[in-house]
Amino acid sequence: MDKEKKQKKQRKQRKPKSMAYRNAVAGYLFTAPFIIGFLLFLLVPLMQSLRMAFSDVKFEGGIAYYFVKFANFKYIFTVDPEFVPFMINELIQMAYTVPSIIIFSFFIAIVLNQEFKGRGLVRAIFFLPVILSSGVLIGLETNNTLMQGLKDVIAESSNATSITDTVKSMFLSEGTYIGPIQYVFDAVDRVYEIAMASGIQIIIFLSGLQTISASMFEAAKIEGATAWETFWKITFPMVSSLILVNVIYSIIDFFVRSDNEVMTHIKNTMTASIEYGRSSAMAWTYFAVIAVIITVTSALISKRVYYYD
Amino acid sequence: MSKLKKRKPNRSRWGDVFVYVVLIVFGWFFMLPLLYAVNSAFKPLDEIFLFPPKLWVSKPTLDNFADLFVLMGKTWVPFSRYIFNTVFITVVGTLGHLLVASMAAYVLSKYKFPGSKAFFTIVVTALMFTPQVMAIPNYLVMTKLGWVNTYWSIIVPAFAAPIGLFLMKQFMEQLPDVLIEAAKVDGAKEVRIYFKIVMPLVKPASLTLSIFSILNLWNTRASNFIYNEELKTLPYALSQIITGGQIARAGVSAAVTLFILIVPLLFFIFAQSSIIETMASSGIKE
Repeated sequence: MDKEKKQKKQRKQRKPKSMAYRNAVAGYLFTAPFIIGFLLFLLVPLMQSLRMAFSDVKFEGGIAYYFVKFANFKYIFTVDPEFVPFMINELIQMAYTVPSIIIFSFFIAIVLNQEFKGRGLVRAIFFLPVILSSGVLIGLETNNTLMQGLKDVIAESSNATSITDTVKSMFLSEGTYIGPIQYVFDAVDRVYEIAMASGIQIIIFLSGLQTISASMFEAAKIEGATAWETFWKITFPMVSSLILVNVIYSIIDFFVRSDNEVMTHIKNTMTASIEYGRSSAMAWTYFAVIAVIITVTSALISKRVYYYD
Repeated sequence: MSKLKKRKPNRSRWGDVFVYVVLIVFGWFFMLPLLYAVNSAFKPLDEIFLFPPKLWVSKPTLDNFADLFVLMGKTWVPFSRYIFNTVFITVVGTLGHLLVASMAAYVLSKYKFPGSKAFFTIVVTALMFTPQVMAIPNYLVMTKLGWVNTYWSIIVPAFAAPIGLFLMKQFMEQLPDVLIEAAKVDGAKEVRIYFKIVMPLVKPASLTLSIFSILNLWNTRASNFIYNEELKTLPYALSQIITGGQIARAGVSAAVTLFILIVPLLFFIFAQSSIIETMASSGIKE
């Protein structure tokens, strides 16, 4: 009995540390800084806001929470006249916008990946909207005559709407069924918004396209593949994982952008009517809806993603 | 042979035309906001309030900038202090974020260890949460840490921004495992593999991540966590100048926009040229 134990101990000591063990140690050490930051600045606040969603929050010297079960959720779904319609509206818009953004940014990224003169400059130009739309102008919204003026200028100088209207009326006079084409029309009408929302996606696709080694295309060319085949057999699979990234990014970006109706409503409930409980309940409902959408779409896409090994 | 040589960019002449037409049409679209911002900065007051607004300035003037510099001189704290604050926050925050996020992304994409999958799922889920609602809980955390009124309240949370981890992991998964195995066989330890092999290979991704981070931090107003005037950021100071009240500041606001845009823009132009350089020499995907 004793001997056996001793032997076991010895065996344990002699055994070199397993690969799995070493991997785990490296894994935890490398992720530790991120985990600490994440817990402290995201998870803790998240949990606190979850608590608020189920409480009546009062400011009596400090913050006081009174547990009210589902009262906040009941309120936003049954009493609040705006929350549900706003959310449905956002969902419909998302279904329109995200696919257009993905197709548009992929297309632009491929064009930008071509050889042509002044490539660096052109790429910088295509990144402009990201710089312009993020923070600065939004941060200065108190005095936003600039943005308003910009919108008017764009409406004036780009005649996108009138073009689609003409084509649309042509179709209508022919008596053709325009159901599926309607989507294209809507996309064209909003091409400016879509273009402005796809800056980051273009960059992500572009950096993905550049990691495909040139020798692969060369080999395909030698084997006699056409450009069309090369695109579907090499380019597309190689950036498919980034399509997933971009879809998720676009969905999130769309839902949390600050001029979104739901977001504005949440913010107003919090700052104007000082209803932290209700506003947190809204945020969590909204969050749950986004989470479901992302889970479904990413499950659908990730099946088709190809990882190069 | 000569025929093959001639068609070096693998594209026909119509392809050329197509590429340029697309670039010009959409390039114009993408240029509009900047053109408008630049032009507005040089517009005299009557042109700014012209309706409907014009894109091009007809009587350019430097008055807006002159006004801006006068107002800058009138601030409580020397203006350079605001600039220093924002530069400091941006540089430290971005470097830290790059290191922390890519380290975590490296092990999450290349090592299997208990809890790695669950952790990544939680991070990606957190990405979706509406940030505004967390303002108050976040403030409570900062108070407990005693970080209110310090740079850390802005810098440290930026380290653990989920978007960076997500982006880096997606790129690192594309690295062939063989590369890392080969390095291991040759006796390299994890830290060395990370610095000498993984990081150089994902340089385009790290530059993309830096762009995200710089944009984010450069525009931080931080009015929630910082009350000390000496620690306030540049965007905050500038927006204070603009919201000073009078209508006349509309011109200054246009000048401010231009002023604050320049740094991220320059970084992007620099980053994007070195993205091309690295890709030419790396052995990724072969």
